[in-house]
Amino acid sequence: MRDRRRCTAVRLHRVHRLAATLAVSGLLFGTAACGSGSGSARAGDPNTLEVWTRSDPESAQTYDRVFAAFTKKTGIDIDYQPVMNFDQQLQSRASTKDLPDVMINDTALMGSYQAQGLLKPITPASIAGHDEITAKSWSSTVGRDGRHYGIPYSRQAMTLFVRKDWREKLGLPQPKTWQDTLALAKAFATRDPDGDGRKDTYGMVVPGSAQNGYVAWWGSSWLWQGGVQILRKEGTGYRPAMDSAAALRTVTWMKNNLFCGDNGVIQPSALTSVTANTTNFQDGNAGMYLTGPYNISTFDKALGKDTYEVLPAPAGPAGNDVLADGENVYFGAKTGKAKQEQALAAFLVSPEGQTLAMTGDHQPVVRIPVNSTLSAAKVRDDPRWSVVQKAYETASVQFPNAPDFAPVKQDTADALNAIFTYCGSDVRSGLKELNDTLAGDLKDQELLK
Amino acid sequence: MTATVTTPGRRRARIIGRRAVLPWLFLAPGLLLALVFKFLPMGKGVWLSFFDVRPFLGDQWVGLDNYTRVLTDHRFQDAIGHTLVLGVGMSLGGILVGSALALLLEGQARSLKIIRTAVFLPVVTATAVVGEMWRLMYYPTSDGLINSGLGLLGLGPVPYLDNPDTALWATMAMGIWMLAPYNMVIILAGLAGVDRSLYEAAAMDGVSLWQRLRHITLPAIRPALGIVLTLAAIRGLRVFTEVYVLTGGGPAGSTDVWMTRAYTLGFTRNDIGGASAASVVLLCVTLLLTVTVNYLRKRGDVR
Repeated sequence: MRDRRRCTAVRLHRVHRLAATLAVSGLLFGTAACGSGSGSARAGDPNTLEVWTRSDPESAQTYDRVFAAFTKKTGIDIDYQPVMNFDQQLQSRASTKDLPDVMINDTALMGSYQAQGLLKPITPASIAGHDEITAKSWSSTVGRDGRHYGIPYSRQAMTLFVRKDWREKLGLPQPKTWQDTLALAKAFATRDPDGDGRKDTYGMVVPGSAQNGYVAWWGSSWLWQGGVQILRKEGTGYRPAMDSAAALRTVTWMKNNLFCGDNGVIQPSALTSVTANTTNFQDGNAGMYLTGPYNISTFDKALGKDTYEVLPAPAGPAGNDVLADGENVYFGAKTGKAKQEQALAAFLVSPEGQTLAMTGDHQPVVRIPVNSTLSAAKVRDDPRWSVVQKAYETASVQFPNAPDFAPVKQDTADALNAIFTYCGSDVRSGLKELNDTLAGDLKDQELLK
Repeated sequence: MTATVTTPGRRRARIIGRRAVLPWLFLAPGLLLALVFKFLPMGKGVWLSFFDVRPFLGDQWVGLDNYTRVLTDHRFQDAIGHTLVLGVGMSLGGILVGSALALLLEGQARSLKIIRTAVFLPVVTATAVVGEMWRLMYYPTSDGLINSGLGLLGLGPVPYLDNPDTALWATMAMGIWMLAPYNMVIILAGLAGVDRSLYEAAAMDGVSLWQRLRHITLPAIRPALGIVLTLAAIRGLRVFTEVYVLTGGGPAGSTDVWMTRAYTLGFTRNDIGGASAASVVLLCVTLLLTVTVNYLRKRGDVR
C-alpha cells in the first residue's frame, strides 16, 4: 500500500514536471486533454455542474461528501475534478474557451483570474444566505471594477504555534510582543529545552525562500505588524509603499534580529526553505512557527495535542495583524448555468455545507467558516480554533486582490530574500529597488497612480 | 493496356520509389508522435513568444516585446552567468569524474560489475529524490551528513545552500554526482573498443602510465568524449530540476539559472509569452552550441 502510494506520488510528480515542460513549450492541447476528461462529455447537460477544486486526493474525499449531500438535496449532479496543478490546467481549458462551471481556489488569485476575463461577476443578493457572510469577508471579493467576482468559502489567519512544554520548562511567559518572541526564541536555541544535553534546537521556523513567494507570504504578517503596506490604495489605483519609514524599520528589525542575529533564533536552512521542507517544528527541534491553522492536524499527530499551544501573533509596533487568506467560490465566465451555480454556492456557504466541509475523517477543506452563524471551535469541539477565528475576525489583513497580486508577491519575496541573505547589505537601497520594481508591476496592469 | 507499358528506367524509378517509401512508413509512428508531442508544441512555443498570452480574452501580438523584456531584465542577465558557470562546471566535472570512474572500473571481474551498477544508480534515480537527499546531506548543522563528517575533522558546520557564495558550487557538486556515471558508461564503451595489442606493445616498450593514457587511451576514446561533450553542453544549459529542488534559485537569486527564471515568469507570474520568449532564446543558444561543438569535433576528426 505504501509502495503504491509512493509510486503514485512519484508519478504525480512526473506528471507535474511533464506538464510544466510541455506548457512552457506551449503544448496547450496536450494538457487540455488531461484536464477536461469527462467534463466536456457532460458539459451540455444543464443539470450537471463541472466543479474544480485545487485539492490533493485526501481533501478531495471531503469535497466528495459535500457534493454528494448537495446532489441529494437538489438533484443537480456534480462532475467533480480535484486538480493539483490547477492554474496550468485552467490556462489550457481557457484556451479552448470552455471553462469549468464552478471553481474553488485561493483568494489571492481573484485579481489574476479577473484580469484574464475568466470569471463571471456575482451579485451577492443572488446567493441565498448571503447575509450570513460578514461584510469583511464579502469585501475581500470585490474586483477592480467594484463588482464581486467570488463568494467567500473558507478563511484562515496565521497564528503562532509554540512548544508549550518547552516554554513552561524554561519558565517563560507566552510571548505578547516581538521582544518577547525574540527572547523566547533565544531561550529555545540556547537553554536546551528538550533536555538532551545537546545544542540542537532552534527558536523559530521560517519558510524564507523566494520560491513561489514564500518569504513574502510568511513575512507579510510581520510587515502588517510593523505598520507596513506593500501597496497603498490611491483613488482607483495603487502605489507601491515599500520605501516608507515603517518598511525600512520593520525589514531592518527582521534582518538584524531574525536572519542576521544570534545563531539558532531561526532554523539554519531558512533562506532556502519552503513550507513543504520546513518540518523543524513537527520534527521537534524548533519551538515556534507562525503559520496557518491547516497545520493543526499534522502537529497533533506528530507532537501530540498537549505539547504545543496556538497563540495570537505577538504584537509589533503597529499591532498584531496577521495575513489572512482562504478560498473563494468562483463562477467560470460564459457557462450559462447561473441558476444551478447559485444553488451550489448557496449550499456551500450554508451552515450545512460549511459544517460538512469542516468535519469528517479526511482533511477538512473549510478552516474558518465564512458563515457567521458557525463557530469553528464549536463545530470542531476544539477551543484552539477560536484563537484562529478571532485572529481572522479582529486582527487580519488580506493581500489586496483587486490587482493581479502574483507578480507583486514574487518581486517582494525576491527582494526580501536578498536583503535577509546579505547581512551587510543596505536595506534602504534594497527596498528602494523593490519599490521601483513594484511600480513597474502596477504599470503593467495599468493600476499605477 | 498500351499506356501501362513501362520502360526499364521507369520501373527502376518505381522500385526506388517503393524502397524510398518503406523506411518512411516504418518511421511514421515515431515521427508522428514526435510531430504531435514535440515539434508542434515547439512551434506553438515560438509562436506564443510574440504574444501577450491571454488564453480566454485572446492573445495580443506584441512583436519582439517579450524578447526585449527578457533580455533586458537584470535577473535574467544574472541567470546567464549562473547558467554558464553551472553548465561548464557540471560538464567538465562530469567528464573528468566520469573518465576517472571509467578508467578505475574498466574490466570484467564480477566485483567491478557490482560496483559499476552501484555507481550508476544516481542516473536512474529521479532528480527530485536526489535533490531532497542532497538537501539533507547539505543540512547546515552538525546533523547534516557532510557537516557531521567535517565536525569529526574539527571543521564547519558550513551552510552550503544558505550562503550565496557557496550555493552554486554545492549545486554543481550534486550535478556532477548525477552526471558522471552517465558519462562513465559512454566512456567505458569507448574503452572497450581500444585495441588491446596497443597496450601490450606499449608495455613492451616500457611506457609510463601517463604516456599510455595520453597516446593510446585518449585518442581511442575521442569519439566517445565528443558525444559526452555534446550531450553535456546541451544538458548544462537547460539545467532546471537540480536547481529547482535544491535551492529554488535562492538564496538571493544566487543559483537562479535561465530555466528557473523562465519557470517563475511563466507559472508564478502568469506571463506565458515572456516564458516562451526565454525558452526560445535558450533553444537558439543550445542549437548554436551543438552545431559549433559538432563542427569542431568533425574538423578535429578530419585533421
